[in-house]
Amino acid sequence: MNISAKELSKWLDENRQMNVVDIRRPDQREKWPLAGIEAVVTELGELSPGVMNKTTVLICQFGIITQRWIETEDLDEVHNLIGGAQAWNAYNADQRDLSRYSRQMVLPEIGEEGQRKLLDSVVTIVGVGGLGCPAAQYLSAAGVGKLNLIDGDVVDITNLQRQPLFRSDRIGDPKSDVAAEALSELNPDCAVKSHYTFLSDENCGNLLAGSNVVLDATDTIPARRVMDDYCRRKSIALIYGGLYKFEGQVSIFHLNGGPSYADVFPESITGGGTCSDDGVPGMLPGIIGSIQALEAIKVILGITPNLSGKLLLYNGLNHTMEQIELNV
Amino acid sequence: MTIQVTVRCFSHVREALGKDVLNLELEDAADSATVENKIRELAGEDLNGIEVKVAVNRKYAQKPVILKDGDEVALIPPVQGG
Repeated sequence: MNISAKELSKWLDENRQMNVVDIRRPDQREKWPLAGIEAVVTELGELSPGVMNKTTVLICQFGIITQRWIETEDLDEVHNLIGGAQAWNAYNADQRDLSRYSRQMVLPEIGEEGQRKLLDSVVTIVGVGGLGCPAAQYLSAAGVGKLNLIDGDVVDITNLQRQPLFRSDRIGDPKSDVAAEALSELNPDCAVKSHYTFLSDENCGNLLAGSNVVLDATDTIPARRVMDDYCRRKSIALIYGGLYKFEGQVSIFHLNGGPSYADVFPESITGGGTCSDDGVPGMLPGIIGSIQALEAIKVILGITPNLSGKLLLYNGLNHTMEQIELNV
Repeated sequence: MTIQVTVRCFSHVREALGKDVLNLELEDAADSATVENKIRELAGEDLNGIEVKVAVNRKYAQKPVILKDGDEVALIPPVQGG
């Protein structure tokens, strides 16, 4: 069984009869001592029946080793602390339960510090369609603190094949509102604000100001130009994504003075239309929107390499993925 | 003297030509703009009005680049679906 740091804290407050066992290596115990817990220290293989004759909570560094061990040994009364010592100490710092993020906090590139950075970050997604839905889902789940969703469309029956935040009973409702409702159930840590409007030169200042990252998930080049221009002036990273049938493109513009969309496609005349005009398999925006979300958190956390100064080209027919260097 | 280049076609270009890759024989010292023009000729009306960006050996070419034997030229239109 799994328990979160918050639940363990409650058990301790209730003086519940239990054993708390720290199975970490000596160097881990020394570097990251458990805040406020008197734990029995032992190795997993040496856990005696005496220790486990009452409710037992096992703690390792990230909650992975103990979870596997409990599952393998099939022990009912032994609990795994989700996220381990890392999540426990994070909870003790500010009563914020980060255990839901334990599988990404275990990555040294993210860790507790990175997770707190994500929780303090603001991402604005322009367009809540094929790209915007998966991007919003993953960013919300990852614990981005504030998501702004901008879209002036309503849910249409033809959106449902590729925009999994929407259900049949919400046809006709504003996309940004429906998505915000769905996402608030997905992760209460992420505050989602709906803006039921299209982005324009007139409103972009109000709508995009304060964003750490803007995610371009629109299906019109004029809206992309508005974002590109604003983000260039304000030096905000713009994560571009575009689709054509089975192909997708991703890049990061304006990061640390990097190229802009207008540098790469100054004319942007395309005979191709939107996904509604040309058709698209639902999975393709799922793939491209997920890559955009990944690049967004990498920008927020300063993880490199990233797609700044590069154009990623993905082909969903033969599954090739390649990068063009944008030496502009 | 002639040179051989490989042309990689993306989105509308791939569709207009019906293939991902083709090989072109060009006059020595031909440039990347020549490749784009030849591909537009082959594609006919299908590429009318479509901007195409060119990359040579996976580097974006803002201006026409003189090609060498064995170079790879990619033709990439902007896409707008989302």
